[in-house]
Amino acid sequence: MLVKLLNTLVMIAVALSITGVINRTRALCAGRKGIRFFQHIYNVHLQLRKGSVYSTTTTALFRIAPTVYLGATLLAFLFIPVANLEPMLSFHGDIIFVAYLLALSRVAIILAAMDTGSSFEGMGAAREALYGALVEPALMMGMATLALFCGYSSFADIFSMAQEMSVNITVVMLLVAYVFGVIMVIESGRVPVDDPKTHLELTMIHEVMCLDYSGVDMALIHIATWLKNAIFAVIAANAVAVIFSFNWWFAAPLAVLATGITIGVVESFRARNKLSRNTTFILTIVAMSALVLLTGFLLIQNIEI
Amino acid sequence: MLFYILLAAIAIIAAIFLTPLRQKVWVTTGIIAALSVAATTLAIKALIEGRIVLATFTTSLFGAESFAVDKLSALFLIIISIASITTVLYSRGYLKGYLERYAEAHISMHYTALTILVASMMFVVMSSGGFSFLFAWELMTIASFILIPFEAERQNTRRSALNYLVMMHIGFIFLVIGFVLCANVTGSANFTAIVEYFKVAKPLPLFIILFIGFGMKAGLFPMHIWLPEAHPAAPSHISAIMSGVMIKTGVYGIMRLMQAIDHNTELLYTIGLIVLLSGIVTGLWGIILAAMQNDIKRLLAYSSIENVGVILIGLGIAAVGHAAGSGLIGMCGMCGALLHTVNHSLFKTILFLNAGNIYSKLHTTSMNEMGGLAKYMPITAIITLFGAVAICALPPLNGFISELLIYIGMFNGVSDGHEVLYSVAGIIALSLIGGIAVLVFTKLFGVVFLGSPRSTHVAESSEVDNLRIGAMAIPATLILFIGLFPQFAIRPIAIVAEAITGADKSIAVNHFEPTLKALSASIWVLIAIVLLLYALKHKLQSKRKIEQGPTWGCGFTAPNARMQYTGESFSEGLESIGRPLMKNTVDGRAVEKGEIFPLAHKYRVRHSDKVDSLLGQWWVQLMHRINEYVMRLRTGRVNNYITYALALFVLVLILSLVGIL
Repeated sequence: MLVKLLNTLVMIAVALSITGVINRTRALCAGRKGIRFFQHIYNVHLQLRKGSVYSTTTTALFRIAPTVYLGATLLAFLFIPVANLEPMLSFHGDIIFVAYLLALSRVAIILAAMDTGSSFEGMGAAREALYGALVEPALMMGMATLALFCGYSSFADIFSMAQEMSVNITVVMLLVAYVFGVIMVIESGRVPVDDPKTHLELTMIHEVMCLDYSGVDMALIHIATWLKNAIFAVIAANAVAVIFSFNWWFAAPLAVLATGITIGVVESFRARNKLSRNTTFILTIVAMSALVLLTGFLLIQNIEI
Repeated sequence: MLFYILLAAIAIIAAIFLTPLRQKVWVTTGIIAALSVAATTLAIKALIEGRIVLATFTTSLFGAESFAVDKLSALFLIIISIASITTVLYSRGYLKGYLERYAEAHISMHYTALTILVASMMFVVMSSGGFSFLFAWELMTIASFILIPFEAERQNTRRSALNYLVMMHIGFIFLVIGFVLCANVTGSANFTAIVEYFKVAKPLPLFIILFIGFGMKAGLFPMHIWLPEAHPAAPSHISAIMSGVMIKTGVYGIMRLMQAIDHNTELLYTIGLIVLLSGIVTGLWGIILAAMQNDIKRLLAYSSIENVGVILIGLGIAAVGHAAGSGLIGMCGMCGALLHTVNHSLFKTILFLNAGNIYSKLHTTSMNEMGGLAKYMPITAIITLFGAVAICALPPLNGFISELLIYIGMFNGVSDGHEVLYSVAGIIALSLIGGIAVLVFTKLFGVVFLGSPRSTHVAESSEVDNLRIGAMAIPATLILFIGLFPQFAIRPIAIVAEAITGADKSIAVNHFEPTLKALSASIWVLIAIVLLLYALKHKLQSKRKIEQGPTWGCGFTAPNARMQYTGESFSEGLESIGRPLMKNTVDGRAVEKGEIFPLAHKYRVRHSDKVDSLLGQWWVQLMHRINEYVMRLRTGRVNNYITYALALFVLVLILSLVGIL
């Protein structure tokens, strides 16, 4: 039980600090001093104390959606182990459950965006739905690669089994980590797929869907995004930790620093994609994950022969 | 036997025709309820005790046949019963508006055909094969053919119905050929005789012939083209029963075939691959085309095609896994396929009936004339959302459970190292299908029920009567039950799966039940978390000021309803990827890039299936061309016609002289 609690605490710490690392890296790259490390948490704290404005076009669904969005993400969050720790919840097949919980959270936010009747939010919803659909196979194949190496389909078992593999899997695991890293970028709406800091609603994806949210709702959405980031960052970090050192004190800082610094650097030096290029970008990752899976399969065959 | 059935049929027809106009629905409900109760009782008994033989008889064509309920029939009998009761209860409200417009005989005909459809579906799944099977199958086709053109004054409707009839008979010919082939070798055309046939003769040709025959009904690619035509044409409750259960009789046939191949692993493997591949293609094709549709019922029809694809993916994985010697994969795939059959019959019924609610209030099924309906038809909106979440296979509802089982099967294939490549193909297809399904149903729900109204009809609509809602509550309750308590729902399914694959059902009990129990607990946790968060949010907001205002227009002060995202624009991104699959027909002209101050434009685009033109149109064109030549003979002069007659006589004379005739 204590291990489970520790796992959850570590996960929460990861979730809270990734955004801070991203902000700090961006500031350093731009030569600024930058905002406080935990400024984003303070912002959400402020939002939790504010009132809200609801559009008259919306229905009750608009008010329930953020809770479903956060609720589903939170439950998915509880299934993720940090390296050798045990997750709060776990059962055989939970990797599929987690993928579909994330899909549920996506549906909630897409419908909320459609509920406002705004053309901008519809635009964001349509893009999110398309990208979400395309990224799904990459996610599943990433998980299938893990299942291929590790014998079964629950997060807790996968990583604990993966340790016992021979060194051959180094390349595959690094690639799996890369795939999950990119999926994180897509899911959380970061450069180059989406730019959370853009000033033009026409070019937004994720941010434009919550234009009409304010106060507590907005805070819930922000928290859910942190959790989502942590889920993918930790999975990627676990895959890397399998190769080097399968301990939580290695995987957790890795998750924060690797993803945070990479995203920060990419955002500082790279412009976002033209929107029409995004589909190609996502399909490339799908192809990549298929390739990783195939490579993994060939390696396994070799080992057995 | 036949005599009694005929007598019963005449009695039923007489009862429906003779009752007064407004009571007809109740008489039909009574008959269908009696049938359903009887069928369900039999089914439950068969599930517990095993095969029950109702009647045996001998036909001159195929020898001894029987009506019997075994475990597979039992499952389908239950599905048919639930959908029929729902449908007939719903039909009262839906047809109310038509009672004055149509002749009494028209309504009687409709109800008679509905009763016959239900009865014939039940006989299809109870028949042991051969003549009685083909008879019930044909009766089912004809009954549904009568039901589709209810609004026969619309030309489109009549054409779709005719198209349906032709397609179904092409399928029927394949079935007849298959059964005759079987009878030729084994002396009988029962499903048990097919087992014999597979042992003694070359099995693959017969399998493919029957697979095409059943696939036509199930809507397999490329034989799916009747579905998106027939469903929008039929009244909604008929679409519901056709899509929910009638196409499943095709799936039933395919399951029977797989049951017959149990003994031969090599053959089972080949067939598993065929089924898996056709499932993948059907599923992907169905869902991509569904995303392009802007007519609710066409969209739902394509989504039915997709779901049949998912069922076949499950069946294919089951067969491949079973052939590779993994009972677990076989059991996962089969349980997933069977449960998805049940699930789809539930949520598709609901979704089509909701489309009916909308149609009866707005008199259109075009999504682009709707929007904001949730405010005017709140209960319809909630039930549709329910169906949409279930069909997207999202937790906490039932669609997720069946897809989870199929996924577990495939992930087991990957992790055990059995059939990795096929499992991966299945995983990719199923995840892509799942992802696009989210796009399709957020589009459906978002464009129809959310936002602001795109036409004035919306504001005039109101919620439908309570009986219709009550009818829809039946499947909705089951959806919720299967979603929340999957560990109980899996038990009867595992019994049926055991009967089909021959694998031990203890695999299911040992393997899924703990998973499903944990899943059920997690789903309750999800519900608790969401409720808790909502309560928390409520508490935080209770002390703060909550205001109402217009939707933020990003600085634009005069937004109107027409600026909202439409169904077409919602799926535009996917359309640009999936363009090779369809043929676009455009009416009018889009606003071009150079137009700075565009004037009024009229623009309509219709995405039709490319297969439609490949399969359906070339022969029409061929007929036209042949006709052109033949028409030259029709001169309208009597002397020419006499010449033709003379020529014929001369031809006959010459042929008989030569000795050919």
